[in-house]
Amino acid sequence: MSESRTIKAALASSDELAAPGKSLWHRIEPAALGIGSIVALLVVWELVPRLITLSAGTKLFFTTPSQVAGTLWRLFATGEIWTPLGVSASGFGLGLLLSIVVGLPLGVLIGRSRTLNDMIDPFITAFNATPRLVFLPLVMLWLGLGLWSKVLIVFIGALFPILINTYEGVRNADKVLINVVRSFGAKEWDIARLVVVPNAMPYIIAGLRLAIGRAVLGVVVAEFFGSESGLGVMMVQAAGRYQVDVVFSGLIIFAVLSLALTAMVQILEQRLSRWRPVHVSE
Amino acid sequence: MVACIEGRNVSLTFRPPNRGPVRALQGFDIDVQDGEFLSIVGPSGCGKSTFLNVVLGLIKADSGDVLMRGKPIAGPGTDRAMVFQEFGLLPWRTVLNNIELGLELKGVPAGQRRDVSQRFVQMVGLSGFEGHYPHELSGGMKQRVGLARALATDPDVLLMDEPFAALDAQTRDVMQVELLRIWHEAKKTVLFVTHQIEEAIYLSDRVMVMTKRPGHAKKIFAIDLPRPRDYEMRVTPEFNELKLQIWHALKDEITV
Ligand SMILES: Nc1ncnc2c1ncn2[C@@H]1O[C@H](COP(=O)(O)OP(=O)(O)OP(=O)(O)O)[C@@H](O)[C@H]1O
Ligand SMILES: [Mg+2]
Repeated sequence: MSESRTIKAALASSDELAAPGKSLWHRIEPAALGIGSIVALLVVWELVPRLITLSAGTKLFFTTPSQVAGTLWRLFATGEIWTPLGVSASGFGLGLLLSIVVGLPLGVLIGRSRTLNDMIDPFITAFNATPRLVFLPLVMLWLGLGLWSKVLIVFIGALFPILINTYEGVRNADKVLINVVRSFGAKEWDIARLVVVPNAMPYIIAGLRLAIGRAVLGVVVAEFFGSESGLGVMMVQAAGRYQVDVVFSGLIIFAVLSLALTAMVQILEQRLSRWRPVHVSE
Repeated sequence: MVACIEGRNVSLTFRPPNRGPVRALQGFDIDVQDGEFLSIVGPSGCGKSTFLNVVLGLIKADSGDVLMRGKPIAGPGTDRAMVFQEFGLLPWRTVLNNIELGLELKGVPAGQRRDVSQRFVQMVGLSGFEGHYPHELSGGMKQRVGLARALATDPDVLLMDEPFAALDAQTRDVMQVELLRIWHEAKKTVLFVTHQIEEAIYLSDRVMVMTKRPGHAKKIFAIDLPRPRDYEMRVTPEFNELKLQIWHALKDEITV
């Protein structure tokens, strides 16, 4: 009787010991499945033209993963890609940077000052409710087809998520902590630096993540509809020449860049939230 | 001799938007002598925190005078520092950086700041925890940080608003002993708010009982118990007699 209980207990504990191994697979399972299905898709895609004969007309619109890979390789090897990539990247980078430089302080200011808030709020509401694309013809008219119209389009798109999120975060600032730092002699600037901005950081990061998406969209839209050069321009021109592999190459570059930027924001977020309690989840 | 802190006929009414005005203080008088430990007890909402905030310089009285060494208090200053009830630590700063807050705002250079805050880390018994964040500390440790931060700028007056209210009873007892040791060592004037009569007697030279809102001084008790004080003192007849007297003064003010 007691013996069987011991055995049961031993079994139970050996089960527990086995658990970490199991949970390792549990942890990598989603990634493995994800990667597996992507690979499967690529293989099937690659096999299509080899298994069925495509008509000449269809072939014109078709490409394979290997072709795209080859084109990507060529674009980078010849250095052909660097000019359009550089143009797009500077439009994106400058526009996003500008939106942070303007959006963050402005968000803090209107979050802290009733008067400023009342003055600026109607503009923000109106601007934010307007689809950003309607500004495109105006921006092109004023700034032409060069870098700065792109910068402005990106800026308009990225500004509001940062501005509005910063504002929300600032409104949520801990009143007690503000009084604490005031009691130690903090002026308005110190309050922002020591309490308001750190407190709003999760909001600001969330805004930044949104802003990056909007900024990429801004670059694409500007380049599809009114730019002289850039990755998007390259894609549109290639499509006009039925170079589907080049279009796909552009698409992949955009996708990879977006993913990389999102990952960077995640790293930034982790660095900035080291002070936070680690929640024991699940 | 001019008092360290003096309140004369202080009145203050809060006027929150969309709600009726709240008279927090009316005709409030107080004298705190240099180096004295004075506690205030009073019913909830009678204006104790309000008065501490006036002394701290965060809010202004409507009428009456609040003086520090004879000069009207115009705003926050490094001659006064507060230990807050819920600790009020910046969660994104380490222990050491929290203690440095006042020094930083005072413009003390970084190296010197380090030295001073390190000294106070030791004084409050937190050596080894300099790099910890507040969420990694127990309540008692958090309030040690709060105390060290208040002491770091070397103020003349320490304002303490129910500093141990968020602690469990045993930690509270330990912190009281610690506070007396530090008070003795640092020679500060302390204005201490609490709901615990026993705590007030144990720590103080004098205990003020306040009326219900709008609050003013009802009665002041001199605590002529010898120092240094020890835990056993709490069971002496003198101690219990004081406790009873203060309770009688207080109980009429408490309305449920
Ligand atoms: N900022 C404020 N706006 C409006 N009313 C306030 C404000 N601060 C305090 N009061 C009111 O003033 C009165 C006194 O508040 P105070 O915080 O000074 O009381 P207290 O004696 O510290 O009470 P407790 O013992 O509960 O901490 C209360 O009725 C409170 O509701
Ligand atoms: Mg209070």
